[in-house]
Amino acid sequence: MMSDLPILSLITFSPLLGIIVLALLPKGSSRALRATAIVATIIPLLLSFWLYADYDGAVDGKPYEEQFTWVDTQFDRLTGTSEGTLSFKLQYEMGVDGLSLPLLLLTTIVALMAALASIHIKKRWKSFYIWFLLLEIGMLGVFLARDIILFFVFFEMTLIPMFFLIGIWGYMGREKAANKFLIYNGIGSAIMLIAFVLLISTAGFNIDTQTFSGSYETIKANLLDMQAAVNVAEAWTGNYSNLFMSETMHWTIFILLLVAFGIKLPLFPFHTWMLRVHTEAPPAIVMIHSGILLKMGAYGLLRFGVFLFPEQAHEWAVVLAVLGVINILYGAVLALVQKEFKLVLAYSSISHMGIVLLGIASFNEIGLQGAMIQLVSHGLISALLFLIVGSLYERTGTTELGELGGLAKSLPFMSGVLLTAGMASLGLPGLSGFIGEFLSLLGLFESMRILTAIAVLGVILTAVYVLRSVLGITFGPMQEKYGTLRDARLIEAVPMITLVAFIVLIGIYPAVLTEPMKHGFDTLLQQLSGKVGG
Amino acid sequence: MLSSYLMVAAILFCIGLYGALVKKNAVIVLLSIELMLNAVNLNLVAFSKYGVVPSLTGQIFTLFTIAVAAAEVAVGIAILIALFRARGTVNVDEYDEMRR
Amino acid sequence: MDTMFSEMAWLIPLFPLAAFLLLLASGRSGRRVGVAIGSVGSLASLVLSILVLIEHMGDGATYYQDGFKWIDLGSFQLNFGYEVTNLSALMLVVVTAVSFLVNVYSAGYMRDDERISVFYSYIALFTFSMLGLVLADNMLSLYFFWELVGVCSFLLVGFWYTKPAARAAAKKAFIVTRIGDAGLLIAILLLFWYMPDHALDFVRIENVFEGQTGAVAAGVTTLIAILIFVGAIGKSGQFPLHVWLPDAMEGPTPISALIHAATMVAAGVYLVARTFDIFQASPVAMETVAYIGAFTAIFAATIGIAQNDIKRILAYSTVSQLGYMMMALGLGSLTGGVFHLFTHAFFKALLFLGAGSIIHAVHTQNINEMGGLGSKMRITAWTFGIGALALSGIPPFAGFWSKDAILATALHENPTLFVVGVVAAFFTAFYMSRLFFLVFTGKPKGDGKAHESPLSMTIPLIILAVFAIGAGFIETPWNGTLSEWLTGTAAAAHSGGGLVMVISTAVGALGIYLGWLVFVKGTIARDAISSRAPWLARLLERKYYIDEIYEAILVKPLRGLGQLLNAIDQYLIDGIVSFIGGTAVFLGRGGTRLQNGQVQTYGLITILGLVILIIAVVGRRFWS
Repeated sequence: MMSDLPILSLITFSPLLGIIVLALLPKGSSRALRATAIVATIIPLLLSFWLYADYDGAVDGKPYEEQFTWVDTQFDRLTGTSEGTLSFKLQYEMGVDGLSLPLLLLTTIVALMAALASIHIKKRWKSFYIWFLLLEIGMLGVFLARDIILFFVFFEMTLIPMFFLIGIWGYMGREKAANKFLIYNGIGSAIMLIAFVLLISTAGFNIDTQTFSGSYETIKANLLDMQAAVNVAEAWTGNYSNLFMSETMHWTIFILLLVAFGIKLPLFPFHTWMLRVHTEAPPAIVMIHSGILLKMGAYGLLRFGVFLFPEQAHEWAVVLAVLGVINILYGAVLALVQKEFKLVLAYSSISHMGIVLLGIASFNEIGLQGAMIQLVSHGLISALLFLIVGSLYERTGTTELGELGGLAKSLPFMSGVLLTAGMASLGLPGLSGFIGEFLSLLGLFESMRILTAIAVLGVILTAVYVLRSVLGITFGPMQEKYGTLRDARLIEAVPMITLVAFIVLIGIYPAVLTEPMKHGFDTLLQQLSGKVGG
Repeated sequence: MLSSYLMVAAILFCIGLYGALVKKNAVIVLLSIELMLNAVNLNLVAFSKYGVVPSLTGQIFTLFTIAVAAAEVAVGIAILIALFRARGTVNVDEYDEMRR
Repeated sequence: MDTMFSEMAWLIPLFPLAAFLLLLASGRSGRRVGVAIGSVGSLASLVLSILVLIEHMGDGATYYQDGFKWIDLGSFQLNFGYEVTNLSALMLVVVTAVSFLVNVYSAGYMRDDERISVFYSYIALFTFSMLGLVLADNMLSLYFFWELVGVCSFLLVGFWYTKPAARAAAKKAFIVTRIGDAGLLIAILLLFWYMPDHALDFVRIENVFEGQTGAVAAGVTTLIAILIFVGAIGKSGQFPLHVWLPDAMEGPTPISALIHAATMVAAGVYLVARTFDIFQASPVAMETVAYIGAFTAIFAATIGIAQNDIKRILAYSTVSQLGYMMMALGLGSLTGGVFHLFTHAFFKALLFLGAGSIIHAVHTQNINEMGGLGSKMRITAWTFGIGALALSGIPPFAGFWSKDAILATALHENPTLFVVGVVAAFFTAFYMSRLFFLVFTGKPKGDGKAHESPLSMTIPLIILAVFAIGAGFIETPWNGTLSEWLTGTAAAAHSGGGLVMVISTAVGALGIYLGWLVFVKGTIARDAISSRAPWLARLLERKYYIDEIYEAILVKPLRGLGQLLNAIDQYLIDGIVSFIGGTAVFLGRGGTRLQNGQVQTYGLITILGLVILIIAVVGRRFWS
């Protein structure tokens, strides 16, 4: 039924509609601009829920593939024995599977919430919302693209709007933060581009159509059956050197991808940029950043690093797990001593993304599912936390832990939500954080006992820093100057309640996520068991 | 035969180059540039006569170059005068607006 | 016997849950309505629990289990379910009964608090979680509710959140129990991967470990048992994770009665009882449990002597009594542990609610500021006295029978622990008599406006007092009803039962007599010990400096590490990055130096470059 419609492209580009309308509206009418932006984020949300309802995981997303050729360049064979030309195609190829669907939903949800949270933006609404919607297109595209060039394009499409959103609407140190963001991610993208070019030139050749392209399926098929690809490619292009298909090449690409997505994730030594972004960007944008953009790193690592190079990744499972544990403990210990609430949350993001790495490193169904749930869950939780941070800052004018205290008295509703978010973040059962954490640890425990036990220490530390900061804000004697604050308005309360509802839903009934992902990892695990023998 | 023409042109070019790079007076620099241009013209003419495939095109092209060079000198001198009026100097060392 | 009510057991936790959701939705609007909703919810659970228990009293196995797939991961699945065993049926009644009484009691105690409906919603949530914990049929669901009760405890300890002490106590309670929970979590992970078929449910755990099938290696079994015990230590306030429980007394007193005396803290004991087969499969684990329990029993009892806060004395007494239960379990007596849990729940709830009634009347918690309340608060005094006697182990009160059962086992299994238990019993009797005499006898202190509490508070006291007298008779040395019912086997005859009874009664009476001598008669000076060995008094008063030790060896180093890493993060890691960035900027600066605006310089450089290029190109010809 739905396969007649290009639903994936519709989802991705529906915010474009909003951009067009926004462009036509006058600059000053903040109300109309805001309403337009909110409506423009509701459309992809509805469409993605429709997709979710219609999606049947068992068929691995086949009905939802859209494809057409974008650019087609013909070129002569380099040296060759046979006649004819080859072509290089840039393809527009979209698809959805168990890996991308949960993140797609996360994106549409968090984007709407962030649009609602943008009421605290004070200036230049028009350009803000235009950048915002562009950002959303980029994010949606990243999760749906099935061509690595297209993926790259969408990936870059998130950088530029972010740069401006941080640089113009941020706090005091916004320019520096924006620069740092762009430089780090630019380096990451450059490395990713190198990896992608290597991928296309080594494995992007489709024998049947005689074309080079960035098609994910082609690359995957070629990488998995290397010998056949080598033979055919050699026969057709002549001077195919062995280097291209060698083990070294695989490792090179894998490590390049690890670094590229590790910066985004962020992995331990590459994390300093995101601290600045967390503190300097406007909270609505941090919701997006922490809620979705970091997830793109993990998604890329899974889809390109792990799915394309299962053997390498599996061999490095211990490395991944160690990196994960370092992330968890490092983030947790540092979150413990921060004096600024946003920095606590930033380090807690580092800590939580470590759990994702653990899940990936487990290389079994449980751990991988756990990693995915952790991604979605952390996206929702950090979006919620920053939503509250935005509303708090709006009222108190500070997020320094030393200056806040006793807010539960004047802001009972927001304090309650903050406490709930904190509980979700420290992995309380019944809320989504627990499921991701538990499954990741459970999965990893099969192969790496000691590391898992160390990671559990991180779970304790999480409780310590979450309680320290959350209780510091909400509990304690009420301060005079905060006595007259008004609790959340309806427009603030609605996204808070919605996010809490989703967090609770996943926490109580995780099947909403595990069902569509059920077969997402089957093929990967089969390949592994076939090649590694266990 | 060709090599002597080329030698003359090369010497001429080097003198021009030297002048353009070293002289401080803007007018002399302009003159030096003209010298280099003429060295090129000489080459063109020499090749058109004694080259592997002799052709009149080279000589005709030289005429063009001379015409363009004349226009160029006119514009150059005009700019120099304007500069002189503005800055009160013809010393090229002091013409460093590009840097600021 | 049919299983009609057991099949409906899943409804029991849902009543309080519904109450919680209703209260949450209604906000702070209805005060009276809040009380009504909370009470009705717990009453409904109580009624159903009693029906379930009655059903289980009958002959024949009325075991019932049901559940559903919670997380289905293809090759693995995690279930969620409930089961009703005799043990859980008993616990259900204890929990719902105490919960209901506390609901009623709080209507009076919390009457003037503006957030009373919030209070009731927390209690409802707690009751739901605790019942879920009791009914859980596998380790994962148990853990799920285990954490939820922890969070409710946290919320209620921090109920008066404006008090910094309450904030600190709530934080401490959560974090310390969380350390224990981490142990339990690892135990679950171990069980999942070592159990055949990745089963986590108690039935299969029992089958695997009871039969000593060897499906799980001995070392692993010990590890699992110890880790489960770590979880129990955290929840039940056993040494060395007991520090949170006395601090938790910052919460409202009804909460101390419900959570920190009768139900949640007993969850640790319940957990060990539920997984008893794992422990029995590992002698090392059993010994650990027994010794830690015994040590905690005497350790906390000694601290209890030197405290002046009425609730803290009771808190240390709880810690001490939980130590008894653990000791019983460690010595292999499931019945002893559960029996003491059962009786303790009633008389300790009674004591706490009594303490609440006193605090309500005199607005202080320091026993030195109280006195002579016996004549003004007759009901409270009588019921409190009954509770104190039960706790001191004086026949025929409930505590006597259960403590006796434990001591009898100890004498049989391990005489050393028996001595420890007897000494702890002596201390218990002594500090309870000290507490009772200081509060209810002597000259009135304070403003003397103390009065008896309202009916809603005294009626629960009377009901609990009845239980504190009568609950012990379900299991006596002559009558093994409980043990037969719980373990399914006829009770082994207690050898030397008479001797134990005599000793424990004598010790209890001696403790009370000593207390009477010191605090009423004054024959022995109060500072008899503190004047001669001030260090000892100080050591006890400061609770053996455990908090200070933790601060020094855990909290400070961790904070220091955090600061250190923070500095490294800011200066080194960020510094390296800035250095790399800075290098690029520096190179750029150097580049701009060349950009001096002198066209002639540019030209010169260009020419030089060209020359180098030409030399390179031409040179290649000659050298290659």
